[in-house]
Amino acid sequence: MAGEKKIKVVISKVGLDGHDRGAKVISTLLKEAGMEVVYLGTYQMPEDIIRAAIDEDADVIGVSYLSGEHLVFTPKIIDEMKKHGLDDVLFIAGGVIPPEDIPSLKEIGINEIFMAGSMTKPIVEYIQSHVRKK
Amino acid sequence: MCSVDELEGLEKGAEANWDNYLKAYYGKPTSGKTWSGFDLKEIYGPRDREGKDYEKGIGEAGQYPFTRGIHSDMFRGRYWTRREVIGMGSPADTNDRVKVLVEHGGTGLNTIADITYEMGLDTDHPWAVNEVGLTGVNITHIHDMETLTEGVPLDKVSWSLITASPSAAATMAQYVAVGQNRGYDISKLRGSVQNDPIHFRYCGFRPACPLDLSIRLGCDVMEYCTRDMPKWYYTTVNMYDLREQGITAPQEVAFGFGIAMIYVDELIRRGLSIDEFGPRFTFYVSCHVDLFEEVAKIRAARRLWARFMKEKYGAKNPQAMQFRFAVHTAGCSLIPQQPLNNIVRISYEALAAVLGGVQSLHCCSYDEAICLPTEKGHLQALRTQQILAYETGVCNVADPLGGSYYVEELTDKVEEEVLRIMKQVEDVGGMEEAIRTEWLDREFEKEALMRQKEIDERERLVVGVNIFTTEPETQTPLGVQRISSESAKKQIDETRELKRTRNINKVKDSIKRLREDGEEGRNVLPAMIEATKALTTTGEMLGTVRMAMGYSYDPMNIIESPF
Repeated sequence: MAGEKKIKVVISKVGLDGHDRGAKVISTLLKEAGMEVVYLGTYQMPEDIIRAAIDEDADVIGVSYLSGEHLVFTPKIIDEMKKHGLDDVLFIAGGVIPPEDIPSLKEIGINEIFMAGSMTKPIVEYIQSHVRKK
Repeated sequence: MCSVDELEGLEKGAEANWDNYLKAYYGKPTSGKTWSGFDLKEIYGPRDREGKDYEKGIGEAGQYPFTRGIHSDMFRGRYWTRREVIGMGSPADTNDRVKVLVEHGGTGLNTIADITYEMGLDTDHPWAVNEVGLTGVNITHIHDMETLTEGVPLDKVSWSLITASPSAAATMAQYVAVGQNRGYDISKLRGSVQNDPIHFRYCGFRPACPLDLSIRLGCDVMEYCTRDMPKWYYTTVNMYDLREQGITAPQEVAFGFGIAMIYVDELIRRGLSIDEFGPRFTFYVSCHVDLFEEVAKIRAARRLWARFMKEKYGAKNPQAMQFRFAVHTAGCSLIPQQPLNNIVRISYEALAAVLGGVQSLHCCSYDEAICLPTEKGHLQALRTQQILAYETGVCNVADPLGGSYYVEELTDKVEEEVLRIMKQVEDVGGMEEAIRTEWLDREFEKEALMRQKEIDERERLVVGVNIFTTEPETQTPLGVQRISSESAKKQIDETRELKRTRNINKVKDSIKRLREDGEEGRNVLPAMIEATKALTTTGEMLGTVRMAMGYSYDPMNIIESPF
């Protein structure tokens, strides 16, 4: 559809964990689904991700967790998002996250979590139907 | 594998109905391919083996080219080592879990470094403080290693220290320092250190693993152990981690061998003889879920390695030709959906390892797609190994699949494909060049993307992911492993206290010697062992060697050398 702005997604790893297979794969697949994706790579701190999301005017922030670091970094990312008024930016996460943690992560403000072994289609559809309308 | 139309209606949310029943009833695999994509015939027979010489191409177990195993009696001589990887929280937490598994019949001690330690950071580093102990254990100073090994008779056990990055040099120094302080003769200690820094750039540790530093420190450890610790396996070239990137079985072997030969070439350049160091060279292999392909892969790897050692490197000692390996069942084959099913996947993978003639086995825990292993998960994984060893009878005969028309043919096919890929690597300028130019990165990325697309398109089926799905679980059956933030805090405080109270002049002297050895190209292990005894820390030792080789002190570029 000519003239329609593409959904812009910032994908990142957080902290020291470098298991980036999932982050890279989902970046490519979201691009193939018609979104504009900026993959920040490894060794990003919450501030780095938020700065990139602001600079890029991102509609979606997606982080990939593996090592249990979701408990440390999710609240920090949400704090930074609030501080910078990114209330209408969708915040999703993927990776190795115990199901027991999902309710509390959602309660503090993460929008959706896709565990390891997710198919691509539901992720694309979720983003398309929940992203802010421009 | 099945075709897509047969599966319509078997996905999540479909109403249970008799059409689904009929689809499942008449279901059949429609593409006869292995996991890695080898096309298969319906059946194999003697004609497939015509012109193939048994003695030359396969041979008996224990005899060159060792296709059928490295020992003539295989498991009748001794079961494989049942070695579960352990690493969580503090050295004390990890020591506790080690003892639990030993109490329950674990036979190999196996501890793994956390992210912060692999990166070469002390626990008090600004980037480390958030993540100490989340995925393993950090050893910052000699007291941490003392705690990790507390109460364990080092002369009786075989300890596998999983540190892969250049930090493996620090790990070895710390283990030796503790061993010597406790009065052990280190030449008698048995165990292994992973020490494969080259491959670790692909596991998210690129800042800690510049290529020249990886070769230098990796080979310093190998050279030191060859000379001073003849019972120690000084590297476990990690083909497993490469496979976890999403590549195929033949790529796993080809890329693993490429990396292994960088070390072999360097050790020979240093004047060591292949017959002297070859017998202590080991590999870490993945076993994925395609049982026959994994067995064929292992058999092909054994035959190829023997030929390379003999024909390319001129080895004369048969032990230097033997492909020795541990198996880690494929973590990436596990899923959080319907998690108890992972026990079944792991069992098939472990069976592949044993049918392949493994020396040492780590079975994943069923909960590894969810969290670090819980104690119950860990024990269950150990029990999987024990059931295989003690109940199933698979240990009675060496290489039980040898002579199967199919498995022999697949072994040949994997071997051909490994050689083709090795040639491909040669054509891009050899393995070092493939790494430097990021050709290898692009291969990994291409394959990983393909694996996900195969799942999305249902060309590859995973129960619970794209077939026979159910609503997501909200509870992990045996609970979730949590890492105590108190443990990390205590460990960080101890590091700060040690740095404040130690004799700084001794530390500085040890750093000076280490720097000189680093700059002048001497093996840094002896200086690291002395530095460890002088209470110099991991980050300080590695930072000093990094600077001696022209790199920043801190891989994360946050802190400067205090010396």
